[in-house]
Amino acid sequence: MDVGTALIAQSHRVDLSLSTAIVWALWLFVGFAGVFPGIVAYMVWLERKVAARFQDRIGPNRVGPFGLLQPIADAIKLIIKESIVPRPADGLIHLIAPVLVLVSAFLSLAVVPFAVGLAPIDPPSGLVYLIAVSSVGPLGIFLAGWSSRNKYSLLGAMRAVAQLVSYEIPQVLSTIPVALWAGSLSLVTIFDHQATFGWNAFNPPGFLAFVIFLIAGAAEVNRTPFDIPEAESEIIAGYHTEYSGMRFGLFFLAEYLSVFVVGCVATVLFLGGGAPLPFSAFPRNLIDGSLGGLVAANAILLTVFLLKVLLFIFVMFWVRATLPRMRIDRLMNFAWKYLVPLCLLNILLAAAWFEVVVRPGRVVASRWATGMIVLGMLTAGAVQLVFRVNRRLAAAAPIDADWPTVGSRAARAGR
Amino acid sequence: MARFLFLAIAALGLLAALGTVLARDLVRAGLHLVAFFFCVACLFVVLEAEFLAAAQVLIYIGAVAILLMFGIMLTRNAAGGEADLSGGWRVPAILAGLAVFAALAFGINNTVSPAGAGPWARVVERPALEPADAAWKAERSRAIDDMPRVVGEQFMTRYALAFELAGLLLTAALVGAVALAREDEAADSVAEPEPGAEARPPVATSPRPSTTTAP
Repeated sequence: MDVGTALIAQSHRVDLSLSTAIVWALWLFVGFAGVFPGIVAYMVWLERKVAARFQDRIGPNRVGPFGLLQPIADAIKLIIKESIVPRPADGLIHLIAPVLVLVSAFLSLAVVPFAVGLAPIDPPSGLVYLIAVSSVGPLGIFLAGWSSRNKYSLLGAMRAVAQLVSYEIPQVLSTIPVALWAGSLSLVTIFDHQATFGWNAFNPPGFLAFVIFLIAGAAEVNRTPFDIPEAESEIIAGYHTEYSGMRFGLFFLAEYLSVFVVGCVATVLFLGGGAPLPFSAFPRNLIDGSLGGLVAANAILLTVFLLKVLLFIFVMFWVRATLPRMRIDRLMNFAWKYLVPLCLLNILLAAAWFEVVVRPGRVVASRWATGMIVLGMLTAGAVQLVFRVNRRLAAAAPIDADWPTVGSRAARAGR
Repeated sequence: MARFLFLAIAALGLLAALGTVLARDLVRAGLHLVAFFFCVACLFVVLEAEFLAAAQVLIYIGAVAILLMFGIMLTRNAAGGEADLSGGWRVPAILAGLAVFAALAFGINNTVSPAGAGPWARVVERPALEPADAAWKAERSRAIDDMPRVVGEQFMTRYALAFELAGLLLTAALVGAVALAREDEAADSVAEPEPGAEARPPVATSPRPSTTTAP
């Protein structure tokens, strides 16, 4: 429990000494400029391979063994391609927009505790920081669509802002139970909390919050089935239609980086970070003050962490290869009529779980079992309730009332 | 170092604020406003209030600025050219700005510092947090380590009135928005005959009679 605060990088208070500067410089140049873009490059390779398997193809296999050098070839291609800016475009904003999106994705990674002592920074309000920096992304997307002076881009930007603003709400609301149980907004404290009380996804309200977080997260990063802002077949890639060369590459990088960020955050918030087993201090009890113990524990934590993130990424690819795109009105309905009420109910359930299980300060088997059974039934009831009410509401509305009506009032009146 | 940072950020913020007022293009003005909000967030960080900085970015850049952009896009020809933003409202706008400035200056000048902390206008070196011997120093250290809780407590106790007033204002805005939206909807439902629409009282302001028959 105290391990997390024992290391400089995870202390809330940062002294601006030389060692901190060196640690931050290492994070900046090795992590943010080297490792994370590399991860993104190979995520693209993985996605192409996975999607190919789902479609009964082989995928990239020409450049290097198993096509492993394909991402490098792609990166070189993107960098040396000409960047074409349309003449009526707003030059400066056209340049700033992809940078804003990318910065938002990179900044979100700065609070993720990958292992003990391996968090770039640990502000006491890390969760709010995370939400704040990830809310800058939609602004960049909007500016990209607006500055391109292209109607498809503008349509994509409108869709993007509507979708991202709507899904931000359930995403934020679904993290409230986690902050409530840990009693802190710091991601490191949340990580420590799960070592004692089990992973947050493994109790009924936590599981519901986890599912909502994943759905809203997929919508936040514009993955199919929520990719209407960049629907290729409707609005030819939406907000980045007019981007080419490395400017497009920045959008591409930001999108895959956001997928990685959502995986990391879901792992930290709901799946106990890098811990391989719930209710066990296994790799942390290797830390006994010696360097070897720390390295061994961190190696295990980091490996398990990355495996969990890989699982999330795979699930996102899987969903993308399986589901078609949602219609925009159903997408909005789903956020506002299903996810938001469920989140609000779930906060009440989370408070009940806090009283039953977390309040005593340690896990008591009987209370834990009571909480699991009672809250499991209550959570299932809440889901049932929301779905049933929505079905009834939908049944009361006239047939085709949810069909989007385009055109003026006069056209509708004459129908 | 801290003073240099403050001056740099404040200068940038002033430039951004000027840009907001002087920009000829609505979206550019909005962008300058975003830059200004970001400078305010930076000032919060310099003051060791990173929760407030995050909240500033979240609320003002993540929500207000995006809604502003959305509003611009929905109400004007988004790809349209330049517009005279102030027009005849220049003088009232300047007056309102001066009034807000006066209110803020009065409020800041009459603010009550914690005991032993010295008045706000005096330049003091920021003392170390450890060891926290003075009571206000302990409070400052608590505020830095657990800022969300401290801010929440202050909202519920010392600033409860302001907090509630802001909530009331937002509720009024929300109700107004719903009322505006409902008016459109009511007009729609009269124009479009549907089962159940007859039960509703006819809207007097509707320009179209509700007797249109469906083919």
